[in-house]
Parts: sequence; structure tokens; C-alpha cells
Amino acid sequence: MSQEKIAVLMGGRSLEREVSLKSGQRVCDALTSLGYKVLALDVTAELVETLRSESPDCCYIALHGKYGEDGTIQELLEFLGIAYTGPGVVSSYLSWDKSVAKYIMAEHGIPTPAWITLTADAFKEMGAATALDMVPTEVGGFPLVVKPSQQGSALGLSKVEAPEQLPEALLGALSFGEAAVVEKWIDGCEISVSVLDSADGPEVLPPVEIEAKSGLFDFSAMYTAGETDYFVPARLEPSVTEDVLDLARRVHELLDCRDVSRADMVVAEGDAPYVLECNTSPGMTETSLLPMAAEAAGMSFQDVVERLVRAALSRRK
Amino acid sequence: MGTARVVFDRWDGRYAERMRDVRSSAVRDLFAAASRSDIISFAGGMPAVDHVPAKTAAGAAHDAILEQGVTALQYGSSEGRPELRRVIVELMAEIGVRVTLDDIVATAGAQQGLDLLAKVFIDPGDTIITEGPTYVGALQAFSAYQPNVVCIPMDDDGMRVDLLEEELKRLGVRGAKFIYTIPNFQNPGGVTLTAPRRRRLLELARDYDIPVIEDDPYGRLRFEGGHVKPLRALDDDVIYLGTFSKIFAPGLRLGWMTAPKPILTKVLLAKQAADLCGSAFVQVTAERYFLGTRWRRVLQGLTRTYAERRNAMLEALDEHFPAEAHWTRPEGGFFVWVTLPEFLDAKAMLAEAVEQGVTYVPGDSFFPDGRTGRNCMRLAFCYAEPDDIREGVRRLGEVLEDRLELYRAFIVAGALPGRISEGAA
Repeated sequence: MSQEKIAVLMGGRSLEREVSLKSGQRVCDALTSLGYKVLALDVTAELVETLRSESPDCCYIALHGKYGEDGTIQELLEFLGIAYTGPGVVSSYLSWDKSVAKYIMAEHGIPTPAWITLTADAFKEMGAATALDMVPTEVGGFPLVVKPSQQGSALGLSKVEAPEQLPEALLGALSFGEAAVVEKWIDGCEISVSVLDSADGPEVLPPVEIEAKSGLFDFSAMYTAGETDYFVPARLEPSVTEDVLDLARRVHELLDCRDVSRADMVVAEGDAPYVLECNTSPGMTETSLLPMAAEAAGMSFQDVVERLVRAALSRRK
Repeated sequence: MGTARVVFDRWDGRYAERMRDVRSSAVRDLFAAASRSDIISFAGGMPAVDHVPAKTAAGAAHDAILEQGVTALQYGSSEGRPELRRVIVELMAEIGVRVTLDDIVATAGAQQGLDLLAKVFIDPGDTIITEGPTYVGALQAFSAYQPNVVCIPMDDDGMRVDLLEEELKRLGVRGAKFIYTIPNFQNPGGVTLTAPRRRRLLELARDYDIPVIEDDPYGRLRFEGGHVKPLRALDDDVIYLGTFSKIFAPGLRLGWMTAPKPILTKVLLAKQAADLCGSAFVQVTAERYFLGTRWRRVLQGLTRTYAERRNAMLEALDEHFPAEAHWTRPEGGFFVWVTLPEFLDAKAMLAEAVEQGVTYVPGDSFFPDGRTGRNCMRLAFCYAEPDDIREGVRRLGEVLEDRLELYRAFIVAGALPGRISEGAA
């Protein structure tokens, strides 16, 4: 029986703390039942001290949002010489910043909705607000989606249907971070495609289709039972399914995502898929998309957790 | 040595449905992670208990045990000791309310009164009416009984009774289980319900046959302006909640309720289930404290202190807060309610405020939907010293200024309605 000690990192001071604690608890339960020695750790000022005194065999990163998903914790663990689950420092950072990820994807021919990025400084120091009239033309007309460039769980996200709603949406997004992404709203079916690395390379899991009853898959739809319907596999034409699986694999490789990633996409009417973003620390709660997809692929929650942990353990120094 | 270990709730999933909507706020958790000694807090509404003379309080507690030991250490009656209720009868008479001993139940703080009333009146899905914003503790007590909470906005004269009327028309006769109001120096609004509005509120309550709960913790902490008669003084059917927390000390956990006899009977049954009876020891201590005359001077001193702190806060707000912000000017109580431009999010701003060494409670905490009031904040002036209040407001002003820079850039460009007020640099 394996008796490696796994530290599950969760909580922290990000706005997604509660979600992370839920993910973390499920991961701990799974690891315990798999026979690992489990250490549930909150990201507090005592984290490094605890990690040094406990010296776990690896860390499972069940953190979401700032510090957990943006490369910060990854960088710290590299420095401490502790192996960890999921993508490395650079990959985390590139994926975390939606604008940066979109630039990279667009450059490599991955379809992503037309967008612009506006920073708080551009408004404060350079008068960007005088050019808001250009925004709709630039991204191809209304409706638009405005969201913070660096934030998870759709916090600060809003849909904009008319010019007069744009300033308010920008202020909302910019209250969560320094940059806002204004993106063309693509009408269609929202899907999410998870990728897990295996010995034979990336394994793409069945796409999950998300139908929010409110029409907007925002924070409350995401974490409130009954506000969203999920279909696994997504109700797509076989050829479209092929396309989205292929896109997810390409995004995973392009952003150098190790172990796991989850690409969120929209399939427009007419079956053209667009990639919105790539998550490197997908949620592991009861309503999360990765566990749902894994289950459809015949993998239990424990299987997923174990695979991620084995991968991290294989990188032990 | 500290540790980062997490302790899970192994019993999650086994709790009753009613606990689902009762949660500790994420913001409060964030504070806990960020508690630092150099932080000036405008968050908690804590009375300045250091103004209560320790010797007088100790004397009362001492006498309670030594002279009344047998009763003070024994179970008491559920409604509370008659001697204590006599003190309460007099306190009520001083604010213009005539009640008898039999109209009163002593409670564990007014907070227990809120919980008992919710238990007695609310079935899941029932509508209740409160001011919006309203006291967080009331929302917490009510929400465990799963009501649908309808909030009535306020202005400088307290609850907008015209809007209450509209809502009552929609809900119909007996369309709500009760109307909950904090008429004096409202928490968190700081405003006071005017006498004409009090009369109108009572008329409406009668017309629509809905009980009124009057929560009056701050009524005796008036700094200026004339006393406004309690609702209970105008209508015997009003349920009134009083407390010793602000006129003596919250550590006693002692308050009271007066209500029409049938309601009081139900409340007593609920109270027996909750705790059999209040602490006789605490009740005797309070009796002793209020039998003397010292408490009046102490209360005057406390009120003066709060007035100084309010003045410090209002002056500092005038000096340091940007022209786009508005705030109430309370004539008593503990709180100032600040309203920022509509598009600013006081919750998103809190993390930065904590960084700068000042805290407050974001406005959405005071609304049951957790969304309304995002652009507002409650500042408690009751606890910090005037110098700290000035410094805290200065820090907060800087945080706001930074946020407003962005906001103004939109206005200057004509992208948002409004204009840059004079003095907004």
C-alpha cells in the first residue's frame, strides 16, 4: 500500500476560497481512501513553515484564482523543491491571463472570439474612455462580454447588449483587476473540454455542455445546484465533437499544460467552435466540469486524483 | 508555532435544510485571515465598555452573589425576575412607553428576542418586511426560518413609508408576517424614522393587519435633536425590543421584549425551549446597577463619547472623502452609512482597504440578496478613538480616491453620466 504523504493546498485569500475548500476536501477524501497520507493545508502565512516541517512527497494544488492559478504557488514550490500537480509556472501564468492566452491562441490559429484588452491605466492615464465608441466595431458588434483578464469563476463578468452598458461593465471588471477583456459574445452552446495527460500523451475527455437557465454561466450559475443543466457528452454533431476534442488537445499542448487543463469553448450556430479560455486548476467540486467529464469517460473521481498525484510524484526530486 | 492545517466539517451534508442560507460571510473570513494590530476598524458596532466604571459593575455583581446568592445562583422564572422587570418598566416610562410587569419578558440580549419572534412567526416561504439595508444579526436570526425578505428603502427620514404602502398593496392584508424596523439611528443606516412617518407606518400596519417589531438598541444614545416617541408609545400592539447592551454592557447578554399578551405567551414557550430562563445572576446584577443613580452619569458620559467620535468621523469624512460620496449624519447611535457612486464595489475595495490598514463592512452584507448595496459601506464610529477615526477615514479616503480616478476618467470622456464635482481633484 502506498504511504506517500500528499499535501493538499486549498483555501487561500482568493475570492474563490470557498470553492477551493470544497475542491480540496473532495481531493483529500479521495486521497485518503486511496491509502495516501493526507495533509490538508490552507494557504496562510504559516504555509512554508508547515511544508518545510512536514516535507510532503508532493503537493496537490486545489487552489483556484489568484496565487493558486497564476504561477505564484507553482514558483514557490519550485523554489522549495516540492513536486506539485498540474501545469508549471509559465504555463499557469499564460493561461491565467485571458488576454495573453487569447493572443497566443490567435497567433497559432486557434479560433477565439474577437477581443480587445483595456487596462485601468489606459483609462486613468491615457484617456481610453474617449474611444469606447470604437469598441463594438473593433470586436464585431453587440452583444459583448466584459470580464477581468485575470480572474476565475467568472467573477466580474457581464454581458453587454448596448453601448450605454459598456462603461459600467468595464468598471465592474476593473474592480477585480488591472485589465479587462472585451470580447464578442458568441451565441451558441457552451462547452467545456478537459484534458488529462496519460502515459500515451494527452487524453481528451468527453465534452460537457453547459446550459445556464439564466442564459449566463456566471458565478451563481456555476455554484448553485439546479441553476444549470449539464449534458455529457455534449449534444454535438460527431464531426463537431471531433473538432472540439482536437482544439482542446491543441490548446493543452500550445500552452504547455502539464497533467491537466480544461478549455472552455462556445460552439456557434453553424457549428464553428471558439475557445474562450484555458483553466490550469479546474474545479473539483460536486458540480465541477472536469470530474463530470471524467465520469463520462469511465474514470472515477479517485482515478483522476490518483493520476494527477502519480504524475506529480514521478517528478519528485 | 502556527500551522496551515485545514480542519474539515465531516458532518457536512447532514445538517438541516434551514441552515443552508445561514452562512458566515466570506468577507468576515477574509478579515480573519487579515487581522493585524495596526488596522483601524470601523467594522464592528462595539460599545465603549471601558467607560463603564469597573467598581460600580463589580459592586453590582458582588452584591448579587453575596446578598441575593440563593436566588442569583438558582433557576429563575422564564419571563425574568420581577425586580428586573420593574427596572425595565421605569426605563420604558422614561422614553414615553407605559407598560406593566406582565408585558415584559427578559431575553438574552435583544438578539434572542429576534430569534424567538422569528421562531414564533415565520414558516418557510413567509414574507417579512424589513428596512433595506437592515441589521445583519436580524437577517441572520430570520433567515434560519427561511422567509422571503422584502426590503423597503430608506432616506434621511428613515423607512420610505410610501414605498412600504406600495409593497403592502401588492402583498395584501396579512400579506406579511411582520414589519421589522429599527426606528432610531438605524443599523446600518444611521437615520431616524420621523414622527409623521412613525404614525403612517402604524396606520399602514393596522390597515393591512401586520404586526410591527420595533428594535430600539440605540434610542437612548441621542447626541442632538429632540426625542422621537417610540412606535410602542403610539400603539400598544407594537412588539418592542430593548437591550442593556448599550446602556450598561453587552457582556451581560440582557435585553427585553414587550408585546401583546398572546404573542408574549408564545414567545415564552419558545424561550423555555431555548434556555428555560435567563441568567438570574445577570438579572440581579443589572437590577443592582440600575437601582443606583450612577448609571445615568455613565450613560451621559458614554453618549458624550459617542458624540465626540461621530463628530470626528463626520469632520474627517468632510475632509478626506471625495465629493462623489454621500453619507448619513446620524443624530445618535453608532453608524454612518456611506454611499459611493453607483458603479463602485465596496466589497471588491475591501481587500485594498485592509492592506492600507482600515476596515469597514461592505453594504451588501445588510441586504438579504447579498447584491444590493454593493456601492455602500457601513462605518462604525462607536469604538475607535477620535484620532484613530481621523486616521482611518484618511486611509479610506485614499483607497477611494484611487478607485475614483478610474471612474472620473469615464465621466470626463462622457462615457458615464454625471460630472466631476468641485473639489474632486
